Amino acid sequence: MTAKRLDGCRIVIVEDELLIAMMLEEILQDAGATIVGMAGCVADALALIEREDFDAAVLDARLDDERVTAIADALEAGAKPFVFHSGYGPEHLPSRHRHRPLLRKPSNPAAIVRMLYAAIG
Amino acid sequence: MNDKASFPIVGIGASAGGVEALEGLFRTLPADSGMAFVVVTHLAPQHESLLADIIGRCTPTPARQAVDGDLVEPDHIYTLQSGTLLTIEGGRLRVRPDNAAHRDRNPIDLFLNSLASDRGERAVGIILSGSGSDGTLGVKAIKERGGFTIAQGHDGIHRHDGMPNSAIATGVVDLVAPVETMAATLVDYTRTATPLGDLTSEKEVREDARLEAARRSITTILRNQVGHDFRGYKHNTFLRRVQRRMQALRLTDIDSYVGYLREDRTEAAALFRDLLIGVTTFFRDGETFQALEELVIPHLFAGKSTGDAVRVWVPGCATGEEVYSIAMLLSEYAESLHSVPKIQVFATDIDEHALEVARTGRYPASLVRDVPADRLKRHFIEDGTSYVVRKEVRDLCIFSAHSLVRDPPFSRIDLISCRNLLIYLGVELQDQVIPMFHYALRPSSYLFLGVAETIGQHQALFVPIDKKHRLFRRQDTASVTIPFALAEHGGRSVRGGAETPRSIQSNAANLRGHVEARVLERFAPAHIVVNQNGEVVYYSANTGKYLQAPPGAPNRQLLAMARKGLRLDLRGAVHEAMQTHKPVTRKHLAVEVDDRVQVLDLTIEPFDREGEAFFLVLFSDVGRPSPPEEIYGKESQWGQDPVVVEQLERELRDTKERLQSTIEEYETSLEELKSANEELISVNEELQSTNEELETAKEETQSVNEELHAVNIELNSKVEELDQSNNDLQNLFNSTQIGIVFLDRCLLIRSFTPAVTRIFNLIASDRGRPLTDIVSHLDQLDLDHDLGQALAGTEPVEKAVRSRDGTKHYIMRILPYRNARNDLEGLLLTFVDVTSLKEAEEQQRQLIGELDHRVKNMLAVVIALAQQTLKTIAKAPECTAFLGRLQAVASTYDLLTRDRWGNIPLNDIVLNEAKPYAGSEGRFVVEGPAVQLRPKAALALGMVIHELVTNAVKYGALSVAEGRVVVTWEIGEKDADAALLVHWRETDGPVLSPPSHHGFGSKLITQQIRYELRGDATVDYRPTGLEATFTVPIAQLRSDDDAPDFPESAR
Repeated sequence: MTAKRLDGCRIVIVEDELLIAMMLEEILQDAGATIVGMAGCVADALALIEREDFDAAVLDARLDDERVTAIADALEAGAKPFVFHSGYGPEHLPSRHRHRPLLRKPSNPAAIVRMLYAAIG
Repeated sequence: MNDKASFPIVGIGASAGGVEALEGLFRTLPADSGMAFVVVTHLAPQHESLLADIIGRCTPTPARQAVDGDLVEPDHIYTLQSGTLLTIEGGRLRVRPDNAAHRDRNPIDLFLNSLASDRGERAVGIILSGSGSDGTLGVKAIKERGGFTIAQGHDGIHRHDGMPNSAIATGVVDLVAPVETMAATLVDYTRTATPLGDLTSEKEVREDARLEAARRSITTILRNQVGHDFRGYKHNTFLRRVQRRMQALRLTDIDSYVGYLREDRTEAAALFRDLLIGVTTFFRDGETFQALEELVIPHLFAGKSTGDAVRVWVPGCATGEEVYSIAMLLSEYAESLHSVPKIQVFATDIDEHALEVARTGRYPASLVRDVPADRLKRHFIEDGTSYVVRKEVRDLCIFSAHSLVRDPPFSRIDLISCRNLLIYLGVELQDQVIPMFHYALRPSSYLFLGVAETIGQHQALFVPIDKKHRLFRRQDTASVTIPFALAEHGGRSVRGGAETPRSIQSNAANLRGHVEARVLERFAPAHIVVNQNGEVVYYSANTGKYLQAPPGAPNRQLLAMARKGLRLDLRGAVHEAMQTHKPVTRKHLAVEVDDRVQVLDLTIEPFDREGEAFFLVLFSDVGRPSPPEEIYGKESQWGQDPVVVEQLERELRDTKERLQSTIEEYETSLEELKSANEELISVNEELQSTNEELETAKEETQSVNEELHAVNIELNSKVEELDQSNNDLQNLFNSTQIGIVFLDRCLLIRSFTPAVTRIFNLIASDRGRPLTDIVSHLDQLDLDHDLGQALAGTEPVEKAVRSRDGTKHYIMRILPYRNARNDLEGLLLTFVDVTSLKEAEEQQRQLIGELDHRVKNMLAVVIALAQQTLKTIAKAPECTAFLGRLQAVASTYDLLTRDRWGNIPLNDIVLNEAKPYAGSEGRFVVEGPAVQLRPKAALALGMVIHELVTNAVKYGALSVAEGRVVVTWEIGEKDADAALLVHWRETDGPVLSPPSHHGFGSKLITQQIRYELRGDATVDYRPTGLEATFTVPIAQLRSDDDAPDFPESAR
């Protein structure tokens, strides 16, 4: 586990459920990461991506009935690695981004850390 | 080869797929073709600018973009600058910017048109690959001016068919060829441009024996193969068309063309079509049509009412544009009248193909470009890229195959519009056609000719009413010899044949005739010519001595005129000559002239002329007139014996008396005979006039028959169309799964589709019965009411219905059935089977129910798991809080499923959380207007209220018996947007101090609303009790898509 700690990584969380966002925050902080910001809707997320300097993102596949395609596009444009974290299957992901790693809810903390670590490379 | 000014200019039009075609064309072009090329394209701007380079790489001929004022030179290629329009005037290119706002951009038509007027026969138009119909009008214009036209055919290079096919469809394209061979064809074309020499002078053409012989052979072949006689056509026009065909076939020798024509049957048809080029457009020469509209059309309708007819004849109608133009003018005028006479426009042509096009009345958009917008809207229906003449106008026109030269004319016509047909006819044919028009027209009706045509020598038949626009009125006083001669003699003119030799001889024999007349007058004996009836048909000079006018009515009988003493011998001699048909001579006759006696010899000589017998009667004087004594005195010396003389004289007297009485008797009977004869003659004349009347009646019958024939053909084609539409409709009915019933205004069944028999017990014989009488399989259907509502209202009725056994569901729509005039003519019921939809919906509902149930179960399992697992530490505060939160989520979830994930009242959520702690009345007050929350907002608020209640029970107002909690809410504002404000206020509780650290619970209270609903939360730990306010934007409260996605009635 020590090898996969996210020491010094700056991470953005995009998740519409506060409880889940808080959980993710805690898991990632425990793994050594710094949470740069959390966003619960597309507009907030885009502003966050624009504003902050960060290394990777965790992205819910759907934010309160809003599609996340624009967020995924913005992340890709900024060459930021990210993982999807969603209760939906891969068929519900934005079609351009289906190749991205997908973590199915409910997820376990170790898997989240492992997958983000792999995504950052 | 050619002099510099008259080298050919080739206009090339191309669009989509045109670059490859242009490359293919220019790759094979030699450097010294002697032609100039102008390329007009629709390509995208970046392509157009590169086009000159692309072409330049394919051919040694220099290529560049056209610049305004360029003098076009041979062996050069010019291309269109992007965003400009190109025309040519006097051999110079004109470039002007393309106004993008212009509705239809047809740069190819524009250029080819100007090329046609600038170059005439030296213009060549080529249409390459492209979609749309640009270029079609352009090649028509070129062809009309005698130029050469080519369209791209199927070849190795992919082509877009639109433009070439549109051009080919007009029938004016000389050659359809693959692009690779075009260059060679063009070079041949310039070399053989005038294989027949200069054909500009009709006179020279007529005198060239070789051409004349070839022309005769060609007309004969045409007459035999296509059955039309072109002998009367202008020789130079005719030969020019032949020359054009020779160019298309790359033949240089007219004899080889005649041979080819003889061998290849299709060539006769091709030449025939070329000869008949019917280039017409709508409202050709606009001003002329205006003149027609103002000067003539009102007169056509003058004095006519509903029972009458306005009849117009358009011979040589080609593809019908002119016909429809006139029909439009007529219908426009007719609309302004109270009582409208019947309008008939007979349009005839010998070209069946053209008539086919005309009958359809469908024209590409480029052909109707000159029609003013208001007329276009009024008389045409737009159908994709083409325009169709409205049925109202088409119904006025009757198209039929009819030859102006061969077939009997129409009759009782009010207006004949024969424009640009006479120019193709030779003088002889024109001389026959114009009197025929005179015959066909009603008194004081009108003739409308083309700009270049005249009525020739027939000023007596027609008076011009507008010389410039060639409008004429029929002269009623003039009478015409029966014009049908031309019909029966196949166009040969009897009169013309007789005239020619006379006019040729008159010049040469002028002097001789004069001399002969002089000799006859001065030195010849007096003479007359009588016919078989003894009537004088010719008098020479000086016959007065022998003849004198008899008393009574004027009379030409020779014997009645003869002077005394001459009559007897004359009668005998004439009679003898008539009997024997030989010359008869009587010598020494005496005739008394003014008391003197002239002795003369009488000679009668019979001769024949044109099958009729005539008799020349010559009076030759012997000596000069003398007193009677001299003559008779001489005679008295002959008798010496007085007795004998006396006896002889008596006998002579008796004989004379007898003779006299015989003569008198004879004359009486002659008179009687004469009167009998006159009677016979008058009877004969009557018969003759009856016969003539019959003849005219027969001709009229013939024209009526012709008309009937035309109408019949028209009718047949309409019946065929109708059959076709009926078949289509029947097939549609049979194939559709939608049940449709057509009802008339009395709600009787008119028609239905087979699919509807699953709903109503309908059989074919139910047509005409009321629909409400028919047993239906539908449950709770009040058809009477629904139909009544549909008839009364303007809105269609729509309802979900189901079958009585509940297995089938339909959407029933009742729509008004309207005719073309938008009048309500009945109703249309449609039944769309939505059973499978309904089933799917039901299934979905069950699935959702099942899912809700499972989720609730799962929550129960989680709660049970937690309780069992945490049993040992069940009293720990974290444990109670955890279980309490789980319970709160579960109960909010329960509320949501109760309402099927719809909106839930805020009131319910608050009470749901407060219920377990609200011990007695008044401790927990909930107040606020009715506010509905969507599931997400409900869950979030529910969670917050739960934490507040838990806190209050632990530390706040609910921890002591007197403490009270008031929850109120209102609609207020947040940042200028409407927002829900929820206030939580605790009173009468223990004295409160702010917590030392914020746990998970207070984090939830402050952040949940902010994060999930983009709202705001303020929490104030006052000593009197906790006060909190939550602000949620209205937009976050309700989901937008809460409208039912299925009609309410369908549930």
